[in-house]
Amino acid sequence: MIRLDVRLPLPRFTLRVEAELAGGIAVLGPSGSGKTSLLETIAGLRPRARGRISVDGVALMDDTPGIRLPPERRGVGYVPQDALLFPHRDVAANVRFGLKGGAPAQLFQELVEILEIGPLLRRFPNAISGGERQRVALARALATQPRLLLLDEPLAALDVELKERILPYLLRVRDAVGVPFLYVTHNAGEAAAVAEEAILLRRGEVVRHGPVDRVLAAMASERVDPAARYENVLAGVLEPRGEGAGETAVFHSNGGRLIVPAPSDAAPPGRTVFSVAPEDILVSATAPEGVSARNRLFGRVVAVREDETGTWVRVEAEGIPWTVRLTRAAEHELALAPGAQVWLTIKAHSFRRIS
Amino acid sequence: MSAEDLGILWLTVRVAAIATLVNLPIGVAMGWALSRSRGPVRTLAETILSLPLVLPPTAVGLLLLTTLRRNGPLGRVLESAGIEILFTARAVVIASAVMSLPFLVRFARTAFEEVDPRLLAMARTLGDSQSAAFRRVALPLAWRGIAAGTLLAFSRALGEFGATILVAGNIPGRTQTLALAIFQRSHIGQDDAAMRLVAVTVVLAFAAVLATEILTSRRAHRTDAKEADLS
Repeated sequence: MIRLDVRLPLPRFTLRVEAELAGGIAVLGPSGSGKTSLLETIAGLRPRARGRISVDGVALMDDTPGIRLPPERRGVGYVPQDALLFPHRDVAANVRFGLKGGAPAQLFQELVEILEIGPLLRRFPNAISGGERQRVALARALATQPRLLLLDEPLAALDVELKERILPYLLRVRDAVGVPFLYVTHNAGEAAAVAEEAILLRRGEVVRHGPVDRVLAAMASERVDPAARYENVLAGVLEPRGEGAGETAVFHSNGGRLIVPAPSDAAPPGRTVFSVAPEDILVSATAPEGVSARNRLFGRVVAVREDETGTWVRVEAEGIPWTVRLTRAAEHELALAPGAQVWLTIKAHSFRRIS
Repeated sequence: MSAEDLGILWLTVRVAAIATLVNLPIGVAMGWALSRSRGPVRTLAETILSLPLVLPPTAVGLLLLTTLRRNGPLGRVLESAGIEILFTARAVVIASAVMSLPFLVRFARTAFEEVDPRLLAMARTLGDSQSAAFRRVALPLAWRGIAAGTLLAFSRALGEFGATILVAGNIPGRTQTLALAIFQRSHIGQDDAAMRLVAVTVVLAFAAVLATEILTSRRAHRTDAKEADLS
């Protein structure tokens, strides 16, 4: 359990965060909303921060009894966007940097295996790729056996393909090491894939806090972060497939039943996350007939919004809030207004599996 | 080279080496403090520290002489402690140290400024105290610049003349360094003997400056290699 009640004056506003968090938490919000400052406050790198921070009952900072642990005694691991490996040490020496005398002998080897950095150990940070650097930074932070891990957009500097290669490592760390974490990201898919809970910051204040898909849905409808592409992100469970199952699978999310592409691997148990781009959803006023798309959902328009990026329609269908992007002409032709009944048509292959 | 020449060379190198060793911790500490500070105090400190670079060395020498002489502020303390400084090899050390310190401070400051402060913060989150982070991150990342500054300061100390002659005189076998001996020999018309010493100084200076160049350019090579790796 992470208890936060902190204040930190910043040039444009004051960061004020009061929250009780547990497990994996996504920290969302537009650029300059105080996300990195929050992580640095928790890590003990912001001397001007005031208030209280405790992790699992251990006070890292508390003004009233005057507790302020220095960064080295907080037991908080930090992985920044640019990895910040020590350039004068090879990969092995980077990972060993924070290894304590009392750490289990096999910890180093375990981390090397989980993050698959064995072949890199004798190389220097400037001779490995960006994705490899992130894995090393993660191993280095975990070597200190932190009670809390802070991840500041660890994948933001990587391209899409690399991201998809690193994400499984993060998930593996989450599941194998089980350390609670705060994960700053702009990317809805990443947030949905790694976190259960999310907080949304705006101008230094928590404006939303709840299950990650709910917070993401709210962000999508409010278009909180113009820099982010908030797709329709759905967390749920895949139905186990019988013998000779075809190319599609059944996916249950928030009570809705959706047809999605069958996973290439054996049906993964547990939580799965899919996303659909707002451009890939068709809206019609009448029930679509004779179409190939596997998903036809009946719903109701919740909101219509126009901005410089286009027309955005929020539709509640099968208990799921959807964000749909239309051209202005299409919106006028369909005469969409809050309360209107509509059908959504989505091809199974428009669903992209995130995790 | 005569035995006398060798004696002069040995004294010069020894005095410059001691001056540099004395300067090293002072210069590193000052360079570190300057690299971490901002504002008018820093600017003022920088300016004062750079004065030996621009003042006539004889002016610095006279200031030192005034401070160290028997009725000067420091001289009184030294005399009561029974320490003799003026016109000894110690005075040569002090004069060379004062004149060469700015090189070391400037190089160390620049080297520390190139160390990303976020790397130091990272070391803290990984369990290092402030001094451990300095030792394990700042120092190893800045050592090349510090080494270059040390070599340059050593070269400067080797050739110190103006301040030295005022506080240490030009006493053969006692305070006469290469620079002072060249001056004296050419003054009394022993141009060939002076030229031998000039050759020695050229070799010494060449070696020291070449080493400095190698140290400072190795860094650039490493950056090139890095870019080549990624392309």
